[in-house]
Parts: sequence; C-alpha cells; structure tokens
Amino acid sequence: MDLPTLTNLTLAHFLFTGAVLFVLGLIGFISRRNLIVMFLCTELMFQGVCVTLVAFSRYHLNYSGQTFVIFVLTIAAAEAALALGLVVLLFRRRDTLDALAWSDLKG
Amino acid sequence: MPGLPLQLALYVATVLGAAAMVLLMPKPGPNLKPIGALLGAATLGGLWFVLCPLWRTGGDVADTGLDTAGLPFYYVFSFIGIAAAVRVITHHRPVYAALWFVMVILASAGLFLVLAAEFMALALVIIYGGAILVTYMFVIMLATQPQASDDPKDSPDFERFAREPLWATVAGFLLLAVLLTFVFDPAISRNDAAKAPTDAAIVGEEYDPRVPAIGLLTERATVGTLNEETGQVTRQPAPVSNGERIGLELFMANPLAIELAGVILLLSLVGAVVIAKTQFPEEESVASSQ
Repeated sequence: MDLPTLTNLTLAHFLFTGAVLFVLGLIGFISRRNLIVMFLCTELMFQGVCVTLVAFSRYHLNYSGQTFVIFVLTIAAAEAALALGLVVLLFRRRDTLDALAWSDLKG
Repeated sequence: MPGLPLQLALYVATVLGAAAMVLLMPKPGPNLKPIGALLGAATLGGLWFVLCPLWRTGGDVADTGLDTAGLPFYYVFSFIGIAAAVRVITHHRPVYAALWFVMVILASAGLFLVLAAEFMALALVIIYGGAILVTYMFVIMLATQPQASDDPKDSPDFERFAREPLWATVAGFLLLAVLLTFVFDPAISRNDAAKAPTDAAIVGEEYDPRVPAIGLLTERATVGTLNEETGQVTRQPAPVSNGERIGLELFMANPLAIELAGVILLLSLVGAVVIAKTQFPEEESVASSQ
C-alpha cells in the first residue's frame, strides 16, 4: 500500500466524485417522470459541480472556486423558488406531477 | 502503452456501473434492485481499490496539498454521497428522494471539510439542507396525492416506472466515461504549470497584497509575542481563516457579481409571488385535463 495514489488524496479523487454526482443527476433528470424529482436532480448536478469547484480551488490554492460556489448556491436558491412555484402551478392545472402529462407541448 | 490498463479498468468500471444503474432504475418486471445495489457497490469499491494504484504519475502525484489524514474521510463521504445520489434518482417516493438528497448534501459538506473549505461546508448545510430542501418539502406536501402505504404498488405509475432508463443510463455513463478519461489522464494530471503561479500567493499566513495597509483587518489580524528579556512586543500577522479569505475574495474581486446576485434573488422573489398568484379559470383546467 505504498502506492502514491492510495495514500495521497489527489485532485482526481474529488473530480471523480464530482463527475459521478453530476452524471447521476443527469440520468435522473432524463429518466424520472416526477417534476419535483426532476428539479431535485438538477440540484444534484449542482452538487457535483460544487465539489469539482472546491477541489480545484484547493488544488490551485485559489479562493475563486469557493466564492463561485456561493454564486452557485444563489442561483440554486432562485431556481428552486421559481421552479417549484411553476411545479405547483402545473399541478393545479392537471392534478398530476407526471411530466408526460405535458407531452402535448412537444407539438 | 502504459496508460492502457488504466483506461481499460476505467471503461470496465463504467460499463459495470451503468449495468448496476439500469438494474436499480424503477421499471416493470422482477425486482432486480438488490443485484443492482450489490453490483454498484462492488464496482465502486473495485474502482477505488483496483484502479487507483494503476494510476501512477511516476511518483509525481498532482495532490491537493493535503496530508493523508483526510483519506479515509474522503472514501466514507464519497461513498455516502454517491450511494445517496443513486437512491435519490431511484426512489419511488419524492419525499424520500428529498431526504436522501439531504444526505448527499451532508456528504459533500464533509468532502468540503476534507478540502479545508469549512465556510462553504457550513453554508452548504445551512442554505441547501436548511432553506432549499425545506422549500422542496413544502412543495412535495402541497402537490402529492396521499398514499395508502409505502408499498411501491400503491404509488402512481409515473413514480414507479422510469422513462427510458436504459438509454438515459447509457447516455449518462458515456458522458462519465469521457469525463473520467480526462480526469485520470496522467498527462493532464501532471500539469504543474497550472499550479505554480498561484501556489505561493495564498498559502501561508501572509497578507493578501490587495488588502489596504490600514483598515479593520490589519489592526485585528496581528498577534503580539512578548520578548521576555527586552520587554518588547513584536507583532506578526495572525492566521487568516477560511471565512475571512472567502470574504476578501468575494467582495474585492467580484463586487459587481454580488450586486447582480442580489438583483437575481429579488427578481426570483417577485417572480415567485407572481407565479403563486396566477389564477386560471376552472373550466379551462377541466377542459385541458380531458
């Protein structure tokens, strides 16, 4: 176990975790049909990006990455307020959270 | 070609992970979730303990400057985060998906602590785990029909069955394979040129050169040490905490972005009120639901 990568925390460790979180959020957004869970999956993608940003911030010893996470949190909060308001509106119209109920919008 | 076993192991792990994901997705047919969970956990563990030793950069590891103490915490938090994320996208009830998402947030806050970003870890828990997830919980309570039990068979169809789980997983893991190819590319990871210019600027307990010589920070952030023989006090800069660093960076480098973030928050507040007050005639909703 004297191999460098197992005994050292490397940048790639955190990039791996961030990438997996992002991809899981992407899969969930594509395949789930519940509108609320779809927006939860966008937050999951934000998490992956945040982990990547903080890891790069640590790697370069530059605090811009961490401050950018603050802006990501801001946008996530604004997006949650607006998107969830829209979800409630859509639910009142069709009485279901199924995204396929709105598939006639495809035209 | 030295990189070949690494890339091979990466792609095998990606394919196995995709297979586990397909098995875990909610879909009609026999319940394959235990097999999927086992396969997924085995893939993740195998990737970490088989792949990582293969990735050698000739002893010149592009590390994050952390000692080895954070390593077990990285593995624990990372596993919790990934497992909880899988549960978020596979659970058939949105309430539980939201609660598992809280677990993802706590795990990534732990990862931030390992990365010595304690302010961001706390902000993440407070803003995400506190504010945003409470909003989600309220909407889930408002917009979900009551269920008889936790049994998946009682859930509506759109919760129980994913839409195109196979192709979604294939697309997602294709992206993951491409990302990991570059993340684990030794040639990219050894890029010390990117690290060098900022390396000496922040590390240590020096002042940021952009901080004015007079001001609150300068006066507060000195510690005096008393010389016993001469009786003189020598002043030195005190260690600057992570929160102070982020505050300086935030307000000195991005003042315009702060203002814009405030405008965005105000606009979303107004927008949320407008959306919440939107009325639509009742007969239209009846007609559109037919």
